[in-house]
Amino acid sequence: MTIGAESLAAVGGAVALAGGLGGAAIGMAIAGYKGVATLAEQPQYLRSVIILAAIPMSCGLYGLIVLIIILTVVVPKIAAMPDPGGSGFAVVACSVIAACAFAFSGISLGSVCGSGISSLIKTRGQILTNALVLAVFVELIAVLGVVFTILALTMLGLM
Amino acid sequence: MIISPESLAILGGAIALAGGLTGSSIGVGWAGSPAVHTLTEDPGQLRNVIVLVSLPMTQTFYGLIVLILILTRVVPNIAAMPDPGGSGFAVFACGVIAACAEAFSAAYQGAICGSGISMLPKTKGAILTNAVMLAVFVELLGVLGLVFTIMALTMLGLF
Amino acid sequence: MSQSKEELKAKMIADPSSLATLGGGIALAGGLLGSSWGIGLAASAGIATISQDHRQLKNVIILAAIPMSQTLYGLIILIITLRVVAPKIVAMPDPVGSGLAVVALGVMAAVAFATSAAYKGSVLASGIAFLPKTRGRILTNCLMLAVFVELIAVLGVVFTILALSMLGLM
Repeated sequence: MTIGAESLAAVGGAVALAGGLGGAAIGMAIAGYKGVATLAEQPQYLRSVIILAAIPMSCGLYGLIVLIIILTVVVPKIAAMPDPGGSGFAVVACSVIAACAFAFSGISLGSVCGSGISSLIKTRGQILTNALVLAVFVELIAVLGVVFTILALTMLGLM
Repeated sequence: MIISPESLAILGGAIALAGGLTGSSIGVGWAGSPAVHTLTEDPGQLRNVIVLVSLPMTQTFYGLIVLILILTRVVPNIAAMPDPGGSGFAVFACGVIAACAEAFSAAYQGAICGSGISMLPKTKGAILTNAVMLAVFVELLGVLGLVFTIMALTMLGLF
Repeated sequence: MSQSKEELKAKMIADPSSLATLGGGIALAGGLLGSSWGIGLAASAGIATISQDHRQLKNVIILAAIPMSQTLYGLIILIITLRVVAPKIVAMPDPVGSGLAVVALGVMAAVAFATSAAYKGSVLASGIAFLPKTRGRILTNCLMLAVFVELIAVLGVVFTILALSMLGLM
């Protein structure tokens, strides 16, 4: 069974997107069920709840970015190589970086935003700013996931 | 499917970075959730909160160091070997050392920082020094993971 | 003789169209798995709510049925794979590799459907639990927050189709 290097690279892109979507779903739901509890008590915080619950979706978009980069930049480069060797598997390896980063930061974003949502009533909505500041810390790790995946692909000469 | 020794080595480096990113995400999440509750009680603790929440991020950079070392020094060494044999798999194994070390030390450093953060209002910020000191204990394990991975690669003659 | 038997065996295991079908099957399996999990979570909360306030039956049925959508998304991916991708894959330059790529995309879709359905169920369960206290008024806000999670499953379908087009398989 001979599997071409470009196809393995496409597998890598799918792995990265899977991690991103999985983390985004779990994160938005963790924030979402706390949002339901908060809105059941006081429906006027709808806007803050929507803002905080939507933040984990970014990990899905980062996964899409990595997939598109792999399909549009890396795959043509591998196709142009006379002998790709293990390049396909190397792309799968780099997307493991991205998948782990997006999955776990999505879940953590959900728990941080969920805590922020639970505290909306007690602080009369004042917690929104600080919750966003803390969410950005976790978001930074997902951004580092994108950056380091691109860095690794560049160092391998595949970008 | 062609899995060359170099690409197995690259997978080892990628797993090391993935472990760092995973652990940092989980750790910042475990620290960030209590941080929101702390800031609702006492918004004056913002600076201490930011210090403690950012501690688990260091393990990502230890994982990045391992990946860069593997890409720039180990992979060319393997490529220059006439018969690499199982060297690629050996580097993958060393990457697993680093991944486990960074992932678990970052995650549980986040747990410790989270405990420290929850005690900030009660101690009016005095717990900061002791919390940082205990977090550094766990950080040491992340550093040991990096050091022992490099030591293993050197003993294998791949560095 | 044994050589051709091996070749035949390898061809049987690695037939590109069946690999593509496997990808579609995995996507549908993920949708079914997630839907059962999500409906299970929502319906368990629903039983407690109905026993408290049996007038909420209509709202409970609406909310508990929502995780079923992921099964339909999985079915869409399977139909696309069977009708559009599988015939096209034999004409590709690297058929077995493309088949493996379709399997990977199916796994990606399955992860998206399973996690979004299961966790949507937890959001809906929370809403169902608050139905008696708010006398059914939580329905709108709960639906809105559940749609957030649904969006991920829709993105799963959209990105799978996008990736298949970019690979030239659609």
